[in-house]
Amino acid sequence: MSHVPDFSIAVAHLPALLQGAAVTLGVSLASIVAGLGVGMAVCLCRISRRRPLAWAARAFISALRGIPILVLLLIVFYMLPLAGIELPPVAAAIIALSLNSGAFQAEIYRGGFASIPPGQAEAARALGMGEGRILRRILIPQVLVRVLPSLVNELIMLLKNSSLTSAITVVELLRASQQVVAATYRPTEIYLTAALLYVVMNTGLSALGGMVRARLAGRGRVTA
Amino acid sequence: MTAAGLGLPGLDFAVLDAYWPVILAGLWTTVRLCGASILLGLAVGLGVELLRARVRRAAPLCRVYVEFFRGSPILIQLFLLYYAGPGIGITLDPEAAGVVGLGLYGGAYFAEIFRSGFEAIPRGQLEAAACLGMPPLRALLRIELPQMAALVLPPAVNQSIILIKDSAVLSIITVPELTKQTSRIINETFTIAEPLLVLAALYWLLVTGLSAAGAALEARLTRHLNPSRKTS
Amino acid sequence: MSKKAASLPPIIEIRKLRKRFGGTEVLRGIDLRVYPSEVVCLIGPSGSGKSTLLRCINVLETYDEGEVRVNGELMGYEEVFGRDRRRASPARLRESRRDLGMVFQQFNLWPHMSAQDNVTEALVSVRGKSRAQAEALGTAMLEKVGLADKLDSYPANLSGGQQQRVAIARALAMEPSIMLFDEPTSALDPELVGDVLEVMRSLAAEGMTMVVVTHEMGFAAEVADRVYFLEGGQVVEEGPPAELFNAPKSPRLGAFLSGWNRRNA
Repeated sequence: MSHVPDFSIAVAHLPALLQGAAVTLGVSLASIVAGLGVGMAVCLCRISRRRPLAWAARAFISALRGIPILVLLLIVFYMLPLAGIELPPVAAAIIALSLNSGAFQAEIYRGGFASIPPGQAEAARALGMGEGRILRRILIPQVLVRVLPSLVNELIMLLKNSSLTSAITVVELLRASQQVVAATYRPTEIYLTAALLYVVMNTGLSALGGMVRARLAGRGRVTA
Repeated sequence: MTAAGLGLPGLDFAVLDAYWPVILAGLWTTVRLCGASILLGLAVGLGVELLRARVRRAAPLCRVYVEFFRGSPILIQLFLLYYAGPGIGITLDPEAAGVVGLGLYGGAYFAEIFRSGFEAIPRGQLEAAACLGMPPLRALLRIELPQMAALVLPPAVNQSIILIKDSAVLSIITVPELTKQTSRIINETFTIAEPLLVLAALYWLLVTGLSAAGAALEARLTRHLNPSRKTS
Repeated sequence: MSKKAASLPPIIEIRKLRKRFGGTEVLRGIDLRVYPSEVVCLIGPSGSGKSTLLRCINVLETYDEGEVRVNGELMGYEEVFGRDRRRASPARLRESRRDLGMVFQQFNLWPHMSAQDNVTEALVSVRGKSRAQAEALGTAMLEKVGLADKLDSYPANLSGGQQQRVAIARALAMEPSIMLFDEPTSALDPELVGDVLEVMRSLAAEGMTMVVVTHEMGFAAEVADRVYFLEGGQVVEEGPPAELFNAPKSPRLGAFLSGWNRRNA
């Protein structure tokens, strides 16, 4: 099956690949947003003074960071139906990816909270603000701004990790290219094109991350 | 092992009784292939970084390598190697493709780790070596590499852990490693939960163990770099 | 010229030296001579080019024009008969640094090696001495700088002054005929400066040829045979310390000295 690479085939199937890329982006964005909820909740438990909560959060973080995403995807995809929950593959994919990302985001937020001088919360307390209000109005907004560059990195990771959802039949970029390869028998051109699409998306995100970093540094919010 | 033994309701790990040898064989394959890929990745990473930093003409090529392998998913890199490789005359069996694929992928990350390691060594130390007449290779071996080994240990262990977790994707190109063997068991026994939970637990043990070992090694290696408490 | 130097030819001879960093010229035609066993101090405000000048002597910086000769040998370039000179090869450069020992402001010890290993490393790998020979010499050198009890200490466990003395021992062990010091006490806490200067004083007394970039005017006045005052990449004034410090001819040296006196009053 040796042949000279012919990228016109890749060009002909570009619409299918781009459709896959759109799913890749959608799944990644949905997972980072859902992961933000998971991560913030886990982080608040992790830094909570209630021991059982903190321990549960530690266990969650350790477990989710210690299991391959592919295995997590299989667990969510195959085990939720056992519990009577039927989900489309895309939903299972987003659940698994956001659980994984949530564990990593929790640690990112913990660093964010640690970087805010404790005096700010003390000042709010002295003014009679409740703890929930201090979190919502004073701390979380600042943490989110500070961790933005790390979140962009996390999104890049998610974008690459989302290729694993092809294993549970989500037709994202990788599975779309597998389908094209099955029809054309041109793995070199198609997979190379798909890989370059990933590189392009990630380079775009890196550039975005660089801009975010520069903006924040300009406002004196982030030093690095 | 039984459900009562683990105290988990509704689970029966007895189904796995006949399959432990298969699981352990898969685990061993994972450990073996990961070990080989990490070594390959370290070698490739060090080579690429040395070329990038010291051979001006090679630098752009090294950059392209790093950008490509860091910018695209490991799974597609494996597909390229395994399915597209034969088209350009590279035919590898699944295990070899797995090791080469993971090694090249990891090498791009290790190269970046080595880069920051080299850059963290103050220039003056090398000037001192030059003033004493030490040839660059000697300075690399005696001054730079030993210090870099300690500096890059935490990120390198981290990266190795990521590679171990990523090695699960080798199951997709039919390498009989831990994940592949476990999915075989699922297909043969029609049980899902128990094999998957064991699978997750084994990866967790592997990863957590390596991370603890790395921390211990780091403490040992950097002992003399921190002022000891007895001298003021 | 000092008494010591009476009739011998200069051991270091620098002529019309020019050095640019990008668009700025940091050395603008320097002439300097050092005779055997002389101690020459280079003083001047920061940015005057004195450290760059020192680093041109052993070619840690490549100079653009003029020449630096050590023992008559051109440093950093190879002379090609009838053509433009070309950059010296790395091997040639290493060979020509043989006679030059260097001590840095930041010590530049290798933190993963003990004091002893810092001193013996190049003896083994460059001079080809046996481990035993190197260790005997290393121990002697560390004794000489007053650190006989610190052989096995790592740099992180030594004070700045002790680290700098290890660095001096490391350079001395290679048996150079000239020692270059680049602000050797500038990174030290004031109470640690004395020990290092003491070692340098005894070296001078032994007849070592030394070129010292320094802000320690007391040391220069006491130990130097001649002092060069640099400003803006040029030698403004040169002579025995008694003349320069007591009767500066140029207003710029006068201003520099009175500024120094005010800060150190």
